[in-house]
Amino acid sequence: MSRGLYISGGAHGALFLWLLLGGVFRPEPPDMQIADVTVLSEADFAALTAPSEVAEPPEPVAPAPDPEPEPTPEPEPAPEPEPAPPPEPEPAPAPPPEPEPAPAPEPEPQPIPVPPAPEPNPTPAPPAPEPTPQINAPLDSVRPQPRPAPRVADQPTEAPPPEAVEAEETQQAADPDAEAPEQAEEAQEQTAPPETSTEIVTEAEEPAGSRAPTSSMRPKSRPQQTARAEPDPEPEAEPEPAPTVADSALNDALAEALGGGDPAPAADGPPLTGREQEAFRLAVQKCWQVDVGSQSANVTVTVGFELGRDGKVVGSHVRLIGATGGSGSAAETAFQAARRAVLRCQLPDGFQLPPDKYETWKEVELTFDPTSMRLR
Amino acid sequence: MTRNLAPILLAMMLALISAASPGLSRAEPLRLTLDQGVVEPLPLAVPTFVAENSEGMQYAEELSRIVAEDLVGTGLFREIPRDAHISRVSNFGAPVQFADWKAINAQALVTGAVSADASGRVVVKFRVWDVFAGTEMGQGMQFAAQVDGRRRLAHKVADQVYSRLTGETPYFDSRVVFVSETGPKDAREKRLAIMDYDGANVQYLTDSASIVLAPRFSPDGSRVLYTSYETGFPRVHILSVGDVNSRILQANDGVMSFAPRFSPDGSMVVYSMTQGSNTDIWAMDVASGATRRLTAGPAIETAPSFSPDGSQIVYESDQSGSQQLYIMPASGGEGRRISFGDGRYGTPVWSPRGDMIAFTKQNAGRFHIGVMRTDGSEERLLTASFLDEGPSWAPNGRVLMFARETQGAQGASALYTVDISGRNLKRVRTPAGASDPSWGPLQ
Repeated sequence: MSRGLYISGGAHGALFLWLLLGGVFRPEPPDMQIADVTVLSEADFAALTAPSEVAEPPEPVAPAPDPEPEPTPEPEPAPEPEPAPPPEPEPAPAPPPEPEPAPAPEPEPQPIPVPPAPEPNPTPAPPAPEPTPQINAPLDSVRPQPRPAPRVADQPTEAPPPEAVEAEETQQAADPDAEAPEQAEEAQEQTAPPETSTEIVTEAEEPAGSRAPTSSMRPKSRPQQTARAEPDPEPEAEPEPAPTVADSALNDALAEALGGGDPAPAADGPPLTGREQEAFRLAVQKCWQVDVGSQSANVTVTVGFELGRDGKVVGSHVRLIGATGGSGSAAETAFQAARRAVLRCQLPDGFQLPPDKYETWKEVELTFDPTSMRLR
Repeated sequence: MTRNLAPILLAMMLALISAASPGLSRAEPLRLTLDQGVVEPLPLAVPTFVAENSEGMQYAEELSRIVAEDLVGTGLFREIPRDAHISRVSNFGAPVQFADWKAINAQALVTGAVSADASGRVVVKFRVWDVFAGTEMGQGMQFAAQVDGRRRLAHKVADQVYSRLTGETPYFDSRVVFVSETGPKDAREKRLAIMDYDGANVQYLTDSASIVLAPRFSPDGSRVLYTSYETGFPRVHILSVGDVNSRILQANDGVMSFAPRFSPDGSMVVYSMTQGSNTDIWAMDVASGATRRLTAGPAIETAPSFSPDGSQIVYESDQSGSQQLYIMPASGGEGRRISFGDGRYGTPVWSPRGDMIAFTKQNAGRFHIGVMRTDGSEERLLTASFLDEGPSWAPNGRVLMFARETQGAQGASALYTVDISGRNLKRVRTPAGASDPSWGPLQ
């Protein structure tokens, strides 16, 4: 009998304990989703939201070369569990049939005032009122593929309008019809950045004319070596920690400690913030032209140079500090490419670096590492 | 205890920092790593070469044009049109106005001068400049040739420029042997022909009396192996390019032999031979004629190609039930399969660099030219069409030439080249249809 009592008592005790403490063993709240946040000014926000009011679906829609109703690539949640696959914006309609680099729009020796051309900006054209497919749910969504373009870089860019001259900055052509005859708008050619895709597209990978799969979709062999397609290095969106008050205080303190009571305090500013470093890095990177098929793409070089207060390389002198991964001539070629990147991108006004921190960026060592770009 | 440690640690850290501080505050450079460049053609300027005498005038334009076409044709360079140039180069020896070339974003500049004399000798000089560094790349050079060899002269200049700008060995001054095809598909006439890499200077090596197939250059470019049906059966012939004399390499009646290819030192030839229903790979010493069988299986083994060091042979075999690629020692023996993708793989060719193997792949009704590493990894398909086949490497292992045939009874075959990155696919300008290219060495 006492055994029954013990059993009963034990069981009840266990039940009470479980009731009391059960909450403790409730599954942990799901892991925090940590998202990077950028502070937007009101103007930024307005600028960001404005276009989306015009064109409802914000994804750049594949230009759908064929007439049959087709699922636009993005709207349905893709079957993969990936968090919102970054739309690989497919630039511009009219896919050329061959990956031969479309003849880069040469600066035409045209008489200057060019008729106003459509803004080459990536405002996604509102999708033509296409007969939206009924419930023909596709078995798998066809992703927009990067189109062949003569240039491969981090950020895809749409093909510039044919009459535009290629340039870093996009600018509108002068409008000859504009009024104000007394002060004629300075005649200028329309320019646009060159058409860019985010990866090398071979003929074998090119989107075919018909959507019927002509070959099995092989999983791509590793991240496509050439450039990342993630919407990554937009400097504004960088997850670099913004310099907080604590940070700058810390930096000041550090600088003070490091300065060791230097009698010239003005020279030694706080170190560059992550964002400033990133902007500088990207400024050089966009001029760094890599020949991915060559032996020099196996070489990582480190170059050093001194910057003047104007942000320009002193004496245009860039020295080779070290090279790993290739033969002498490949290393020399890699060094020349790195040197060209530095010297070319300092133009016209020097690198944009905070003058008050000059001492921290006076001497620079840059490592050019093409590992993630090369073909093999 | 911990309370006692904390100040000590702090003191140590401070001591460390203050010890390091003189170095930090002065010399510590800003260190950053870049990992994403851009892939795009390098803008370069090739102003018309300066004519140094009146005879040179007629060639200056032509030679500088060929140099520019060679370079732009690689897909690695973009020529800045001449009407955009700010300074004119009118004197080969005058200093270069780098600012003018920077202003139009020319990253490299090629200047040259041409002179000729009454005896028909043409001399071309050139220099290559790194515009943004403001320096000359390498040293000025000059080449001379008779008038009728002036295209080669220009290719030589372009080769030098290419190799200074890319750090790679060049390939412009090279020739391609191929099968020239005329007539409709069902009655096609095939002749062996040879041309410059860019399709110029086509010369015919055989007449169209018998069908010829699969020509292959010897490593030094002096001889060509090919398969001919002259006797009614396929036979491997060897032809001397200099005097256009050919002979049968081997004569065993009733035995088909085909798919010949030289070893890297030119002393051996590997080929396949069909006896009964079995096809195997054989090797033959060119000088003595001694033959040796390298594979023994009951399957069809063919299309052998040596590695550049001569130690291994890649070939195709259907021993697994479908046509795949295998590698075996050059002395023969068991093959190791390297291709595992869908479809059928054939005509493997080892890159002159040694790091890759090019092949033809047939899958889902389409043909591809592709490359993979020698262990079969990193397969990359470069082309896709109704019929692509027979890749051949440029002497520097950077470009592939292959034959593409279009569909239908009127379908014609043409030669194409593609960079191993898959960019810059383009057609080679041949006067008639063409197939089976074999790219010879740099001359």
